[in-house]
Amino acid sequence: MALSRRDFLKSSAAASAAAAMGMTVPAEMQAAAAKNDGDWRWDKAACRFCGTGCGIMMATKGEGADRKIVAVKGDPAAPVNRGLNCIKGYFNAKIMYGADRLTKPLLRVDANGKFNKQGRFAEVSWERAFDEMEVNIKKTLKEKGPEGVAVFASGQYTVMEGYAAQKMMKGGFRSNAIDPNARHCMASAVVGFYQTFGIDEPSGCYDDIELTDTVVSWGSNMAEMHPILWSRVTDRKLGDPDRVKVINLSTYRHRTSDLADIEIIFTPNSDLALWNYIAREIVYNNPEAIDWDFVKKHMVFAASPVNMGYGMRRKGEKSLKEGKYTAKEMETINQEMVHVVSENEAPALEPYGYKAGDKMVNKPAGLKHWEISFEDYKTFLAPYTADYVTSVSKGDPDESNESFKAKIKELADLYIEKGRKVVSFWTMGMNQHTRGTWCNTLSYNVHFMLNKQAVPGSGAFSLTGQPSACGTAREVGTFAHRLPADMMVKNGKHRKITENKWNIPNGTLNPVGNQHIMKIHRDIEDGVVKFAWVNVCNPYQDSASASHWIKAAREMDNFIVTSDGYPGISAKVSDLILPSAMIYEKWGAYGNAERRTQHWRQQVLPVGDAMSDTWQWVELSKRFTVKDVWGGYTLRNGKKLADVRKAAYAMGYNDDTTMYEILFANKDAKSYKIDRENDPIQSGYDNTECLGDERNVLGSDGKVWEGYGFFIQKYLFEEYAAFGRGHGHDLAAFDVYHKVRGLKWPVVDGKETQWRFNAKYDPYAAKATKKTGNSHAFYGTLAKKLAQGTLTGITDKNKVSLKNKAKIFARPYMDPPEMPSKEYPVWLCTGRVLEHWHSGTMTMRVPELYRAVPEALCYMHPEDAKKYGVKQGQLAWVESRRGKVKARVETRGRNRPSRGLIFVPWFDEKVFINKVCADYTCPQSKQTDFKKCAIKIYKA
Amino acid sequence: MKTLSKITLSLAVAATVVFTGCNDAPAKQEVVKPTITEASLGLRKTDLYSEAKDTFGDEAKYSKTYAGSGNKIVRAFQDAPPMIPHDTEGMLPITIKDNQCVGCHMPEVASGVGATAIPVSHMTNFRPSVKLVGQDFKKSEDVMKNDVAITKTKDGKLTGARFNCSQCHAPQSTAPLAVENNFEANYTSKDGASKSSWDSSAYMDSILETVDGKTKASSVITADDIDFSDSAAGTLEGGH
Repeated sequence: MALSRRDFLKSSAAASAAAAMGMTVPAEMQAAAAKNDGDWRWDKAACRFCGTGCGIMMATKGEGADRKIVAVKGDPAAPVNRGLNCIKGYFNAKIMYGADRLTKPLLRVDANGKFNKQGRFAEVSWERAFDEMEVNIKKTLKEKGPEGVAVFASGQYTVMEGYAAQKMMKGGFRSNAIDPNARHCMASAVVGFYQTFGIDEPSGCYDDIELTDTVVSWGSNMAEMHPILWSRVTDRKLGDPDRVKVINLSTYRHRTSDLADIEIIFTPNSDLALWNYIAREIVYNNPEAIDWDFVKKHMVFAASPVNMGYGMRRKGEKSLKEGKYTAKEMETINQEMVHVVSENEAPALEPYGYKAGDKMVNKPAGLKHWEISFEDYKTFLAPYTADYVTSVSKGDPDESNESFKAKIKELADLYIEKGRKVVSFWTMGMNQHTRGTWCNTLSYNVHFMLNKQAVPGSGAFSLTGQPSACGTAREVGTFAHRLPADMMVKNGKHRKITENKWNIPNGTLNPVGNQHIMKIHRDIEDGVVKFAWVNVCNPYQDSASASHWIKAAREMDNFIVTSDGYPGISAKVSDLILPSAMIYEKWGAYGNAERRTQHWRQQVLPVGDAMSDTWQWVELSKRFTVKDVWGGYTLRNGKKLADVRKAAYAMGYNDDTTMYEILFANKDAKSYKIDRENDPIQSGYDNTECLGDERNVLGSDGKVWEGYGFFIQKYLFEEYAAFGRGHGHDLAAFDVYHKVRGLKWPVVDGKETQWRFNAKYDPYAAKATKKTGNSHAFYGTLAKKLAQGTLTGITDKNKVSLKNKAKIFARPYMDPPEMPSKEYPVWLCTGRVLEHWHSGTMTMRVPELYRAVPEALCYMHPEDAKKYGVKQGQLAWVESRRGKVKARVETRGRNRPSRGLIFVPWFDEKVFINKVCADYTCPQSKQTDFKKCAIKIYKA
Repeated sequence: MKTLSKITLSLAVAATVVFTGCNDAPAKQEVVKPTITEASLGLRKTDLYSEAKDTFGDEAKYSKTYAGSGNKIVRAFQDAPPMIPHDTEGMLPITIKDNQCVGCHMPEVASGVGATAIPVSHMTNFRPSVKLVGQDFKKSEDVMKNDVAITKTKDGKLTGARFNCSQCHAPQSTAPLAVENNFEANYTSKDGASKSSWDSSAYMDSILETVDGKTKASSVITADDIDFSDSAAGTLEGGH
């Protein structure tokens, strides 16, 4: 059959006949059929946008600098999306061609061409741009030490860019002030993973969608935010409409509700109560549903402090003392120090010894937690009766209590039903939450007790927002506190491993990693950070309490640099703007939400003088030598960073050895050869960083850029991959990824892993359970020794090992720090829309996407519009304690909130909604809560 | 205001020159002049630090043309999803019980009512089937070989994966763009601007074999590919 099949498929007519008959055609057996698109070159690539991680086929046409993208199709061989993209995915074709692409570095100067913070922008050379950066970094290191040099990093960095930035920041500058926009997007999921599993990232994979019977979406508008996953859910639902149930839990009605069997509208923050309600239904009313054999072998119960605040600025911080915050703002910020327990919270906090009206004194609690008994956990769950949860959670004032109760009971019953497979999905709703870490851990509780986690078709599954929030931000570790492959800067052993691999002296890496993204903004406002560089993100549009940060950038004594493809708000408030090569103008790799790593090649040359972020980092490294960066420092907490120059000499470096030679152009790096003749991966493709290109861009030294001469992207990827190989985080070799449509790590012996921690599917779990014969091993190693205690504290400090076990956490319902009041009577929720990506810098420049949604609307209930005197299609002010913006009212659109809540997306520079939002965060994950604050609305 | 628009114009011209590819690399700039204002950059041209009267979003002006009037929007490129040329008021949302798009756009109805017919790609299933036998996950396709499985649906039914029409097709505002886009459409078929040219053969040919080396087997994963032991940086001595 095999032989004749090959012949049979020789013509495209036969191929389509085979397709019509439903035959499977392995690509290796396909003969080339006639091409109808002559001079087009097709190659595979990854989509630029969300965390779904779709594969695209991209066609380019032309030669050299004239080669342009001409078409994009869904890649039928890509397991994620199988031939289909969403509207943004198709229009990857146009994202790089907006007419105002940045093509030259721009510097604020005075009339004499000298840098001037108050000046207008002028085009400058790359050499001048690096001169200015070098001067400002050196000055800052001298004045403020490594803590003064910061980077706004990204979940949209390629793996290589993120790794290059990480190496130079932490290894070169010894600064841990590098933190990604991914902090805003999935930090709560990460801490949830670490606390529950001891290791980051999901146990399941997207195949769960085709295998499950039940999809529960928790505060996630998958239909717009993960459209291709939603198309898989839809296909599954329509394929078996009676068996498959879809439940949408949300604070407002949106497109995900349109296909749901049950829609539950809940009050912001009360997902905490809903998860505990389901757990209570299991423990109190359906105890037979608990798989005790599984729980006893694999679980412990745990608790942590509740008085941990809300991640806001604390009393005594410089900008508070200087009065940079108004009395109105302080009304909310004061909650950070003392919170009065509300009637709402009182039943949930009763097991912790609080009652309504008590003053809860908040203290930074860190990540501390301890083991408790199942009896304690049961006591903790007692308050979450249907009555209590309905009183806290029912989010539609026009729905009856009975109706709400019936729906949450039905929800719990679906989870509990024996033999029913259930997947719980969430993204920003549960993550952007002042108790986001808690909420994430609560999701696993329910799945664990029912033994519906880390098995095919069932599991709590955290979706990510960004294309490489997993692949780069988390896996490479471009966070203030992380190193590659789940290692931490505060762990001496981890630092040493990293230092050895990077060939830098022991003691170089800074053990203090606390400058998360909001802290960087606050440090700029406090005058601590004096140099900040924005990479592949837009922190001056995407951060809440935005007025503070744009003001600090413009008015304080500092130097802000933004590298971007287009001039967004971050570029506008910067002192230096650098033109970056965009995604298909460089080699790269992303990692998606199901642990799938995907690579692509450079498809076209960058526009103008744009160069990749990898190049920008590596060129910057040429400006810094051992003597510039490796002397001793005293950090602001008094901790000393040792002078490691002597150790560096012993390693063969001298005072003038550059960071470029050490970190990027070392012996290992040079072993990755550029060979376009014989390497089929490189053959036929440009590589601007390694070879230069016909644009003859003048580089950082003023000379024509001719390339590094070695395959730097491959080197960076392979070196990064070394950290995870053999440690549950195995990535395949570079070349493999160029031949397949991505693989889900750990990739062991050339095979990807579908269900982690499951001994049947995960080789690491198989190894760990060899002796016990257990079904699972939760083999993560972080926080796997716990003291013993009760809900209110530790009673026995002796730590007990919980090797290969996971945790079920007691974490109560609590109010958010700001709730509707008489003066600010309405909830505000922000988020995205299908057609736009994040701050819109790319998608607002694609005509089809712009025309689909040219402005951010204020979605609200028609009765509320009446009540507040605003009209459909007319402008209204949306005002909080922090600021106000105008937005056009929409009462009939795709988002249909109940009375009492409005939704305004944040992509629109002209509707700068982050001026209204508050920068409170989950105190454990430091992720901002963009999903709830109190506003008033009135006619503009 | 005068300088502002001039600057915007000069930026646009500079960008255009680059895109048409006839940009003679200018000599290294010796003197730099502060010419570009912050306000001229980006989409928001009004003051960023206050919310002045003239700061508000670009109002959408969607077509009021009724469905079936024959008005069509040119496809952005070959096989790009067509945008919706007609008023959608009262047609959305799409629910399980009510997908009004399908009412007019299924091929058997479309030509009669002047609607763009849903092409065969939408009556085609691209997803290989998977199933669980006990706890064993079964799938017939090998991801290491980039296997595809493309099958027509029964009776020309719309595939469930493409049920959410508004995931790819959107109404379009007729108001001016915020920024022009220099993408150039290249249609490979005569009527590519108005019709899908999709047929499964286009996916069966060599476009899926993207690694195009000297030997035919270049896209097959070899033991050598999998092995990274000769990758100088690719392993960690002594482990963690």
